[in-house]
Amino acid sequence: MSAITLTDVSRSFGQIRVLQDIDLDIRDGELIVFVGPSGCGKSTLLRLIAGLDRPTSGSIAIDGRDVTKVAAADRGLAMVFQSYALYPHMSVRQNLAFGLENARMPRAEIDARIAEAARMLEIAPYLERRPGQLSGGQRQRVAIGRAIVRNPTAFLLDEPLSNLDAELRISTRAELAALHERLAATMIYVTHDQIEAMTLADRIVVLRAGRIEQVGTPLELYNRPANLFVAGFIGAPRMNFLPGRIAGSADGRSTVELGGAGTMLVEKVEAAAGDHVTLGVRPHHLRLLPAGGGVAAEVTLVEALGSETILHARTPDRQSLLAVLAGQQEVAAGETIHLEFDPGTLHLFDSSGLRLQPLQRDSGAR
Amino acid sequence: MANAAVGLAARAGAIILAPVGWLARVLDPPLRLMQKAGGQNGMVAFFLAPNMLIFGIFVLFPLVINIAYSMTGGSALFLEDRVFVGADQYRRLFTCGNYLDPGSCAEDLFWTAVWNTSTFVVFQVALMIGVALVTALVLNRDIRARSFWRAVFFFPVLLSPVVVGLIWRWILQREGLLNYMLHGIGLDPVVWLVERDWAFMAAIGVSVWAHVGFYALILLAGLQAIPKDLYEAAEMDGTRPARVFRRITLPLLAPNLLVVLVLTLIRAVQIFDEVYVLTGGGPGTSTLFITQYIYEVGFASLLRNPGLASAASILMGSVLVILTLAQLGIARKNEMRSKKG
Ligand SMILES: Nc1ncnc2c1ncn2[C@@H]1O[C@H](COP(=O)(O)OP(=O)(O)O)[C@@H](O)[C@H]1O
Ligand SMILES: [Mg+2]
Repeated sequence: MSAITLTDVSRSFGQIRVLQDIDLDIRDGELIVFVGPSGCGKSTLLRLIAGLDRPTSGSIAIDGRDVTKVAAADRGLAMVFQSYALYPHMSVRQNLAFGLENARMPRAEIDARIAEAARMLEIAPYLERRPGQLSGGQRQRVAIGRAIVRNPTAFLLDEPLSNLDAELRISTRAELAALHERLAATMIYVTHDQIEAMTLADRIVVLRAGRIEQVGTPLELYNRPANLFVAGFIGAPRMNFLPGRIAGSADGRSTVELGGAGTMLVEKVEAAAGDHVTLGVRPHHLRLLPAGGGVAAEVTLVEALGSETILHARTPDRQSLLAVLAGQQEVAAGETIHLEFDPGTLHLFDSSGLRLQPLQRDSGAR
Repeated sequence: MANAAVGLAARAGAIILAPVGWLARVLDPPLRLMQKAGGQNGMVAFFLAPNMLIFGIFVLFPLVINIAYSMTGGSALFLEDRVFVGADQYRRLFTCGNYLDPGSCAEDLFWTAVWNTSTFVVFQVALMIGVALVTALVLNRDIRARSFWRAVFFFPVLLSPVVVGLIWRWILQREGLLNYMLHGIGLDPVVWLVERDWAFMAAIGVSVWAHVGFYALILLAGLQAIPKDLYEAAEMDGTRPARVFRRITLPLLAPNLLVVLVLTLIRAVQIFDEVYVLTGGGPGTSTLFITQYIYEVGFASLLRNPGLASAASILMGSVLVILTLAQLGIARKNEMRSKKG
């Protein structure tokens, strides 16, 4: 059980600032996911929390106790490494026992904990094997088991599923979620895969180039991305972006000019007429307009999946668009289609990429 | 600019390699003809022949000759002038009242050399592995100027053994560098190479100094092959450094340690050149080792006895063969283990 607080944490390697001014409150018992593209500093941040690395500046506290200078072993955390980092010359049982022996725990207690973890993770049949004699999925369980037996205040997991094949990844993901429910321990989970983040997280921390872009629940990030980066990163397929300009605002609505693709009425935003903006709309929120109007685009590719149809299209000013339509559609490549969407599903970003908050709807607005 | 440099390098390379191309073109037709005549196996034999010839002339043939010599007597050099004595030479080597007391043996120098060599092997191998391990552990850390220190330890390996012997003689002799420095700080000089125990220790120390860089390098490679995150996992597990070393570093370094153990054993049994230059086997016979005994009996002494020297060398060779087989066995086991993953 533990809450972890990062205050103004930075880490530089030489001249390179890998993490900058990270402020974060991790709540007791939550499963928080650090997500971001490769190289953005996720592992570095996790290692700072673990105590395997020290911040260049800033402080880290666990349950209110400043642990910035406390050794890794004394933070009460357990880590699951991306490579699993199992001791190759020890049996699974010895791997699980190793940390407990360090703490001079009585043998009976060690055996009991190993038995409990083995039962929970269904690794009991392999306890006497070496890691080299296990499959990837089994090794992964052992790595998690090694963390569980320590009974840590928080679990740190660095891309724990990245070495598994796609199918195993999905089932293990579900098991991890169940494990979190059951242990009710704080878990910090690092991944570059936004789907993993969306499915597992209580809250997601989106990182980019060493900075936090946004913190929120999966649906908060999906529904109200704070900036273009988060909008593009969260959600699959990726959000469509179209350049636009505010033409004017009246009656609680704003008119956005889509260069060359007509205009669009949206809820009134806090931007002045003439401002350049970026419109974002998710592929799932686009609908086909049979009669014309909306955004016109030429279809370049049709992917008919049966249950849904994915249209790749291009606007007259050569912006590519992706639309995911329910069911099967009678559309062929080369055709011109008209797409519309509910203004409520539209995201607007100002010229610096920050989200523009639509103003309060007035009563008459649709 | 970078492109121009690449272009230039490529052109220079092409010019250097051009003769190879011509040679290939010239050699191609006759080789093709040979392959047609001899078949693929014939070509294999053809390409292996030069090496086998060298091996035959310089290794296999001398080995056979050596066995033959060991069964002959007298001081004549050529085999046809020598008399066949059967196992007499071996019998002579093994004629002994008490093997532990060389004075009671027919060939007292042989047994002196055997026991000197045995003592040397035990202490030198232990010291060599200890120093190599410590050196590798230190060089594996993030110390400053790491490449420099690696070079410092590896440098003596590149020296000729004779040079090693000479350097240390200059340092250790009665009026050598070490005594000069001792005198400088007001201590009494020690006649390092004249006192039995000091000379023996000097032989051990100098041979360790000369070769330790090589073994440290093997161990360093082994240390660097141990994944860093195992150490981080151990750190998270709250493992004390001594336990990390005993439970993680040592077991994972074991294959390299075994290789080093066998190689140092073989080299220690063969010890000769740098010690011969350093002490000449002295004082008295206190640093006389088997190789030197063989050399002196066979070539250098007034009463040279090639048959006896051959017999002794065959005995020593047998020990080396056993050690080499052990080394090959270990290498094969390592290979199999690394294949299993
Ligand atoms: N020990 C180190 N020395 C120098 N640079 C490092 C070190 N560790 C990480 N970095 C750099 O920090 C950046 C972030 O690395 P990392 O935290 O591993 O990214 P992620 O886990 O998000 O893929 C990378 O550019 C990486 O090269
Ligand atoms: Mg990483």
